[in-house]
Amino acid sequence: MNTVIPDRIKIAYRYPARAVGAAGALLMLVSIFLPWAYGTAALDDMSYYGAPSPLQLCFGVLALTVLALLTIPLVGKQRLGKWAKVLAWNTTAKTASITALITAAIAVTSVAVELGGLLNVEIGGWLVIFGGVAAVASTLFLPDSPEPSLDEVKSPKWLQILAIVVLMAVALFAAAFALGQVDAGAFLTFGSFLVAVVMVLRQFGVFGWLGMAAAANNRVLVISAFVVAFLFPFTQNGSNANMSIAAQVLIFAATALGLNIVVGLVGLLDLGYIAFLGAGAFTAAVLSESAYSHFNFHPPFIVTVLISGLVASLLGLIIGAPTLRVSGDYLAIVTLAFGEIFRITMNNLDGNDGPDITNGSNGIPDIPDLNAFGFNFGQPHVILGIDIGRFANYYWLMLLVIALIIVVFTNLNHSRIGRGWVAIREDELAAEAMGVNTFALKLLAFAGGAFLAGVAGAVKAHHDVSVTPDQFIFLESAFLLAAVVLGGMGTVMGVLIGATILKLLPEKLRFFSDYRLLLFGLLMVVMMRFRPEGIVADERRQLEFHAEDEELAEEVEEELITHKAHLNPEREVFEL
Amino acid sequence: MDLFFQQLINGLSLGALYALIAVGYTVVYGIVQLINFAHGEIFMVGAFGAYATWMVMGQPANLSVGMALGVVLPLMLVGGVVSSVVVALLTERVAYRPLRNAPRLAPLISAIGVSVFLQEFVRLFYGTIPFVTRIPGWPDAKSAVPFPSISGISDASVQIGGVLVQASALFTLLALVVCTVFLWFFVNRTKTGRAMVATSQDPDTARLMGINVDRVIVAAFAVGAGLAAIAGVAHGLRYGNIDFRMGFLAGLKAFTAAVLGGIGNINGAVVGGLVLGVVEALASNYLGTTAWKDVWAFALLILVLVFRPQGLLGAKVVDRA
Repeated sequence: MNTVIPDRIKIAYRYPARAVGAAGALLMLVSIFLPWAYGTAALDDMSYYGAPSPLQLCFGVLALTVLALLTIPLVGKQRLGKWAKVLAWNTTAKTASITALITAAIAVTSVAVELGGLLNVEIGGWLVIFGGVAAVASTLFLPDSPEPSLDEVKSPKWLQILAIVVLMAVALFAAAFALGQVDAGAFLTFGSFLVAVVMVLRQFGVFGWLGMAAAANNRVLVISAFVVAFLFPFTQNGSNANMSIAAQVLIFAATALGLNIVVGLVGLLDLGYIAFLGAGAFTAAVLSESAYSHFNFHPPFIVTVLISGLVASLLGLIIGAPTLRVSGDYLAIVTLAFGEIFRITMNNLDGNDGPDITNGSNGIPDIPDLNAFGFNFGQPHVILGIDIGRFANYYWLMLLVIALIIVVFTNLNHSRIGRGWVAIREDELAAEAMGVNTFALKLLAFAGGAFLAGVAGAVKAHHDVSVTPDQFIFLESAFLLAAVVLGGMGTVMGVLIGATILKLLPEKLRFFSDYRLLLFGLLMVVMMRFRPEGIVADERRQLEFHAEDEELAEEVEEELITHKAHLNPEREVFEL
Repeated sequence: MDLFFQQLINGLSLGALYALIAVGYTVVYGIVQLINFAHGEIFMVGAFGAYATWMVMGQPANLSVGMALGVVLPLMLVGGVVSSVVVALLTERVAYRPLRNAPRLAPLISAIGVSVFLQEFVRLFYGTIPFVTRIPGWPDAKSAVPFPSISGISDASVQIGGVLVQASALFTLLALVVCTVFLWFFVNRTKTGRAMVATSQDPDTARLMGINVDRVIVAAFAVGAGLAAIAGVAHGLRYGNIDFRMGFLAGLKAFTAAVLGGIGNINGAVVGGLVLGVVEALASNYLGTTAWKDVWAFALLILVLVFRPQGLLGAKVVDRA
């Protein structure tokens, strides 16, 4: 981050700036022991002296971070040893103060909004803002640190694994805590705190190191992530509200992962993808034992899932075979038209305009809960003294589906097929000239992606209890696409994050549900303008969007050839 | 046979509506190879702009035919065109121009974002000063808004044999004829129009010849938006109400029309629109129930793309994938 303050002034005032910043951080630290609000109803009750609420403790963490970042370097370069070089102290202090101030502003604004006016903000609330402003203003005077190079420090394997496991445990705890916030202001404040923590860790160089550790211990990362996800229902104490959201997030994410193959890997823009989810859902509904289904064939669930997937991929073949020959833009519109055809057809199969299969716009209600592997998904049960409700069952089922999808996805990505897909995305003509069977591969991606959506749809039908055509409008396809784009095309992690954000935020922030779509549209435009590669960027993809960035190009090239794991001695360090 | 001719005239007037919108897709695509996904919303904004003009004029009602056709309707058209053009140019500046050299997916996704944004913006803020207050007397756009009736159009019709022709249908057809003549003149006889043709044939060479390509692109967006606004007014007169969602389906159909005629080809857009309208009207009468009419339109789109991707009149085929 470049500031307008010239280096000369920065160096002259580096000690006073550090002192003022530390004082600001101290003020923030003190403020958490003071009340922030006159009423108890705002956020998580910040109206006591000497007893910080959990959210106030979060501010304590941020304040201590700023304080530590500003004071520890005073120990001196000699005694800090290599840590002085590989960590970005000053820049991180700046990031920490700025994010702390933003988080404080969100908290204070929430107090004002929820209690009706700024008058309700108590001394502590003003103090934290004041301290934050002081910290931000003074850290702007600190000289910039060089890029952190913690990822080049050698570390023992056990430490890396331990770090990953701890990170996952913290993530579980944070997710449970965030979902536990019923108050919208509290949820926003905590969300902002999490973003602050992530940004601070990234700036400090910890994320670079974690990324290296994660790459080196990929299996540990994946397994611990799944263990954490598996344990999540146990943190909910039988509450169904959050588990229902979580299950919906996973269904959405599974569909988005399917779309990710088509859009992210092969580069085929599909604007009617929701139709495949719909095909799966309707197939499962018709084959279920719902009284409104007109079929007398009720196979066991595992067969239903397969049939749903196959029906969806058959549709994928029908729509793909003739249209995959046309180029990108056309394909987008054809798939959009196909999505509309699907929805209208489902609406019309009501006995009046066509054969009666789907009950038209009423859809198929009363779909019974799944009964598979001798286990009824509708029954709540108790494990280790903790209630596990109906939605938790579906959550675990979807977790299994997503695990399968990820295994298939990563294996395909690193296989001949995956390389063929990426080649098609980068340059179809060149790929064809190199002997890649582009048509067959595109068709495979289309049908495969559709199969995944169909499977997700089959679970969705049972989870939602009813299936109606108007669940599968164009906007849903746009949301799926947004999840892929927002998270990062072609990456599994990114799509999971994108899907979570897009499903979770509207559920938690109901007060602006009216502005949800407006912000969604704005977000798509802003994303494409400023970070088209998404939150988690696939590096090769990132290069596509920033073709002029020579540095990035070299980085990607280097990474593709070899992983560097040695400390770079020639790094310049801007010292105190 | 009367039924056939009735459906034919219905189809032609519907097709004229599609054609007016389709020109916008085709002109923009011909020059920047961008499917302006938000063009349907520009059409919707035009209708709401015309309605706003009518509100500003003090909701004139029960006028003489002369007043209605001579003063009120032209002013509404101007209001609609101005609002559409302004919005279109803003979106071009904010959402498309920065992405001109980005990979193809980026502007298309950006366009989807613009489309959703414009719909929601009209739904939430029409008739208000955003976040401040509602303007008294103005309707809420959250449900359909009844479009003002214009004496001489909304209430009139002509009987030819067994065929009843609504005046609004005649208005749409007339608008298409006038706009087509205007477009022909614009493209072939004005400097900007010829610059547009040159740019669509080869942007780099056009730039070398001293053409300001940015200006040409702006002109393309403006022309498309103007015609879409006229279509918006025609839509309001034809159906009697407008709503914030009307741009989606109309835009999709108009895109179908543009592809049907050959995208990038202005004459093709007009022909494609008329053909699509007639096919839709006849198919909904002779094939199944009216509930399937959109399916026929989209099926036609898929068939054209598969068997004749260059469209009826031949497209400027660009494959940058």
